[in-house]
Amino acid sequence: MNLDQFLRQSSDSYPQQVAVIVQGRSITYRELGDAADGLANNLRRLSLGDGARVALLLENSIEYAIAYFGVLEAGLVVVPLDTSANGDTLRFILADCGVKALIAQSHFRRQLKVIFEADCGVEVLLCDSILDLGSPSLRALVFDQALQVEQFDVSEATPSSKAPDAISLCRFGKLHELAAIFYTSGSTGVPKGVMLSHLNLVSNTLATIEYLNLSRDDRTLVILPFYYIYGNSLLLTNVACGACLVIDNRFMYPETVLNTMEEQRCTGFSGVPSNFMILLGRSTLASRQFPHLRYFTQAGGAMAPETTKKLMEVFPDKEIYIMYGQTEAAPRVTYLPPPRLAEKLGSIGVPLAGISVAIMDEQQQELPVGKTGELVVSGDNVMMGYWCQPDEEQEVLRDGLLFTGDLGYKDENGFLFIVGRKKEIIKTGGNRVSAKEVEECLIANESILEACVVGVPDTLLGEAIKAVIVLKPGIELERKGILLHCRRSLADFKVPKIIEIVGALPKYKSGKINKQLLKEGSA
Amino acid sequence: MESDTERIRSEIRAFIVDSYLLGDESVKFADSDSFMSRGIIDSMGILELVAFLEQHFGITVIDDEMLPTNLDSVESLVGFIRGKSGC
Repeated sequence: MNLDQFLRQSSDSYPQQVAVIVQGRSITYRELGDAADGLANNLRRLSLGDGARVALLLENSIEYAIAYFGVLEAGLVVVPLDTSANGDTLRFILADCGVKALIAQSHFRRQLKVIFEADCGVEVLLCDSILDLGSPSLRALVFDQALQVEQFDVSEATPSSKAPDAISLCRFGKLHELAAIFYTSGSTGVPKGVMLSHLNLVSNTLATIEYLNLSRDDRTLVILPFYYIYGNSLLLTNVACGACLVIDNRFMYPETVLNTMEEQRCTGFSGVPSNFMILLGRSTLASRQFPHLRYFTQAGGAMAPETTKKLMEVFPDKEIYIMYGQTEAAPRVTYLPPPRLAEKLGSIGVPLAGISVAIMDEQQQELPVGKTGELVVSGDNVMMGYWCQPDEEQEVLRDGLLFTGDLGYKDENGFLFIVGRKKEIIKTGGNRVSAKEVEECLIANESILEACVVGVPDTLLGEAIKAVIVLKPGIELERKGILLHCRRSLADFKVPKIIEIVGALPKYKSGKINKQLLKEGSA
Repeated sequence: MESDTERIRSEIRAFIVDSYLLGDESVKFADSDSFMSRGIIDSMGILELVAFLEQHFGITVIDDEMLPTNLDSVESLVGFIRGKSGC
């Protein structure tokens, strides 16, 4: 089974069922299937080459669902782009994996202008309106609401161009072929393209449906972006079982989202820790009933047990699923079954069906119950690798095992607990941020002599980014100036929340910075 | 009354520019522009905005008032604050 068959099955089985609702607009499974077919046909006529990459710069919308499945159906590889990333980062990603076509909404024109300021290899832009991007070699096509390209002339199609370094589509049969590339922060600061096969995503989708007991009767409220692997999982699981995705992109105003949840009789809500903190701390969530709501899911970093307890107190009759995963695992690895939640509070639960998690020491020997080591994952969900980054890949993927970089232990009942991380990756508000990338950005400022970035506990974000900075002698630079510098080159979620300017950084005798001391606030 | 409106408007604009645009005056936005659509404020930023409204204008923003109609532009904020504070 291929990923695009999820939509085909639901379209055949439940043609009249509503697949996606977004603020007054909706589309049935038949309409979604037809639109994806139409887009796939148009994409085939572009002769991009088997396995060519097509990127999406789209907010959560009906168009996103059509584009995602249309690209897959055409035998191409989908590359969802973070719509909050700046144009330079997006251009890097497009060039990195050799994207041939980009499907975008025109309200991202600011990023599009930056992307096309220099050549990034993209040949075709499909957009909802004509934009003057000053790129004469770019072929721009306009699509309508169903993502159909009007007046498409096959004679204008670009010549067939075999993707230069695409994973061979014939080698393993389609299940083992590359389906999607999700970019994530690497510990080196350079974004890494996580290559996921149809098998990775299909197996993880089916296992997730099983433990969540999802069915076509479900109506899931979606506030997480589809370009984010957790959001992608919502798209796939709901489409695969013919459920309805209720999209609301206005979480900034939680009451609006709660109104949608009530009006649309949603049965499920999925969020990262900060979403739950905001809902519990600054909304009417606790005073409402939500009679149709069946479950909550939480992933995207550790949520404070106090927050989970509060959610349990407010909604004793709802199922609360605490989950753990990472993009490299497509993404879900473990879940905590709701009946065990109170007893195992703080645990990330047990592996999904078909997935194994071992706790290993530095020598890759499995450790006994209670001993802390690295969480190592095996199963059909483990990624194919990183796009053209063999060194990074070798660090985490060996003998089919995924070395997560997370440290934890297993209790006597097989429940897993995470206690820390091997790598210098900060998990903030559901995003992974490389400390090195932020440090490099800071050091690029000519007023800054040294910079060190760490993650510190934060009730809202899980972890907040803290930058400790030493200025060059005689230089005065205010916090605001440093933030402005960061905002110019980093996505908003990577900009430090806490900035401390100090005379010197604490160091070991070796000269290495004592990051632990900075985390503890003793700079 | 006119001067109250203008004072509120300019204080809100100053806060937005200072807190979210970090003093970058080159980013232009109209009083009717949606903070959400323009990507000026996110879900964390809205909590800071509400804290500012409560401290600076001495009003209380209750949870079910945290709606775009009240908070999503300079224009709607001015109307909301005037309605709450009676000025």
